[in-house]
Amino acid sequence: MSLRRVGVLFGKEFIHGPKNYMFILSLVAPLLLSLLLSLVFGTYFGGKSRLGLVDQGGSQLRGLVQKNEAVSVRIYGSLQELRDASARGSVDVGLMLPPQFDQHIRSNDQTKMTVYVWGESRLRDRLVVASAITHAVHQIAGHELPVEIVQDVLGGETSIPWEKRLLPMIVLMPLVFAGSLVPATSLVTEKTKHTLTALAASPATLGEVYMAKGLIGVLLSLVTSIMVLSLNRAFIGESALLLGVLLMGSVFGASIGVLLGAAIKDINTLFAVIKGMGLLLYAPALIRMFPQVPQWIARLFPTYYVIQPVLEISQNNAGWSEIAPEMGVLVGLIAVSLLAAARMATRGGEA
Amino acid sequence: MSLAMINALVRKDITLYFKNRFFAFITVMGLVAYVVIYFLMPQAVDETLTMGWHGPELPAATIADFEEEGLVLRPYDSRAALQKAVQSGDVLVGVVVQQDFLQKLRLGQKPQVTVLSKSDLPDEYRSAFRLVLEELGHALAGRSLSLEVDETVLGPDMAGHNVAPRRRMLPVLAVILLITETLGLASLISSEVETGTVQALLATPLRVEGLFVSKGITGVILAFSQVLLIIAITGGLEREPLLVLTILLLSSVLMTGLSLLIASVARDMLSVIGWGTLVMVAMAIPSFNVLMPGLTSGWIKAIPSYYVVDPIYRVTNLGAGWSQVGTSLLALLGFSMLSFALGVATLGRRLQ
Repeated sequence: MSLRRVGVLFGKEFIHGPKNYMFILSLVAPLLLSLLLSLVFGTYFGGKSRLGLVDQGGSQLRGLVQKNEAVSVRIYGSLQELRDASARGSVDVGLMLPPQFDQHIRSNDQTKMTVYVWGESRLRDRLVVASAITHAVHQIAGHELPVEIVQDVLGGETSIPWEKRLLPMIVLMPLVFAGSLVPATSLVTEKTKHTLTALAASPATLGEVYMAKGLIGVLLSLVTSIMVLSLNRAFIGESALLLGVLLMGSVFGASIGVLLGAAIKDINTLFAVIKGMGLLLYAPALIRMFPQVPQWIARLFPTYYVIQPVLEISQNNAGWSEIAPEMGVLVGLIAVSLLAAARMATRGGEA
Repeated sequence: MSLAMINALVRKDITLYFKNRFFAFITVMGLVAYVVIYFLMPQAVDETLTMGWHGPELPAATIADFEEEGLVLRPYDSRAALQKAVQSGDVLVGVVVQQDFLQKLRLGQKPQVTVLSKSDLPDEYRSAFRLVLEELGHALAGRSLSLEVDETVLGPDMAGHNVAPRRRMLPVLAVILLITETLGLASLISSEVETGTVQALLATPLRVEGLFVSKGITGVILAFSQVLLIIAITGGLEREPLLVLTILLLSSVLMTGLSLLIASVARDMLSVIGWGTLVMVAMAIPSFNVLMPGLTSGWIKAIPSYYVVDPIYRVTNLGAGWSQVGTSLLALLGFSMLSFALGVATLGRRLQ
């Protein structure tokens, strides 16, 4: 296999791909569907209250509010940056802590704080941020909590917010749309237009063509996944690890796409197969939506080994050791599908 | 350039536009879908944190202070009634305290507060309620902090009357609708160029300028009429109607210019959709910034549709007038003229 020829084919796909309806659809559809789901289930208008912070004196307050689950904290370098961020709505409230803030609090001296409030922020966000700040200040001052709060959770442990139930579906969409559909439709279109036969007359091998198509799927899937997760505020946790998992997931999605494209001869059959396979691909996401269904069933489906590590990292801040077993299975699945694609390429080349 | 010829061409183009089943379908479906989406979305923002309360009556002054800040305590006669309200979703959390709660607080005895919530309450909400309860506890215990807060509200203070999600959605719908029209007109022109109809038209007394004027008028009529309909149905003309109409008219010119640009590079309907979707994604970015404020920074002002979204949002939701959106309007005028001129130049080159 010549990497140079793969690069040339990849470049050709990359330049001519945007003229293809499926290429565009694969980029836009997951974003629009994700937006629609989130609008319907309220993710975009809910979420955490946002606090911007400029700390001029290494206050403990920064660490204390960052630990708080009710607020998300962004740190800024200067008062002007904080003011700009508050004015454009990047944060609900901006707070500048003066030097020696903690010492003043501990000695009960009058302390001045500069606060910027975004005019369009909701009352509840202002209240939550203000409560988070005063909670931290009380802690710095060494005040004990005046009440003992006991949580009494009603209902079964199976109740999970809908935005969390839908996240697996949102994670899978780019893999199916961009990762699998683009290489598959591209290969089938080349077959129906007989351009694949023309390529066979060139020095490029079928394996190199499959590789180039697969790489386009990987690239599109990876970019769309990052965009979709970011839009859903789920691109969090260990970002390098998350990127690695998304890359592996994209490779898996693309290898399925190449396999389908290699095996199927016309576009109608391809879409019929994809419709049939949809249940298989989306099954782990559907099972996750309904906690009443035994969750171990999801493990029987290959895409479980893509979405589970993503969810573990973004929702539970998991590290490599926690996701290693699923990643091991995913690597195995990728190896099998790549071997199958290579075998089909060899057979196709011989034919 | 005869007015009668231009009139005939505009009529022909509008008829042909609706003969393309794909674009006719997405135009009508789009209009209906946008109106349905708009009216399905919440018409108000719940800005308060509402808690059910079962326990002794709290001091009226403290309750009033917290209500002003966004915390509402709804009293319940019994724990069972409160539990039922939490389970049915009437309140997100319920708070149960003993009758001697206030006495214990004043004596510094740390009374117990039981918080009832459903298990599907997101963690951030649980933490938020906990924070607010602690704050209430500090206030009731009379524990204050020596803090002097220098507070500045940036932009119009919307506390208590914030912009409803459906009103935030309005500029997004307007931009998407305008771009859909861009695709329709681009497809129409592109197919005329490919089939040679344009060349045939230029063999008549109609000159190139006449052709562009007619295409421009067609584009503006198609885009302006539909976006106007959506804005009118959704109540967007209630404030400063003349200003809103001006913004929509300039936006229609901007999108018509973009459709000429797309038509100058696209060869068929699929490539119109391909190029058009790229334009659509780029133009839609400023509208997402309205849905999720703070998503982007200053670079967003380089995208022409920012000057469509921003003034529509500020006029329809924040009560801005001519003087407040004047700069945006000038920028929109500039971008509209530029896109139209570029569209005419590139399409003109293709026709040559």
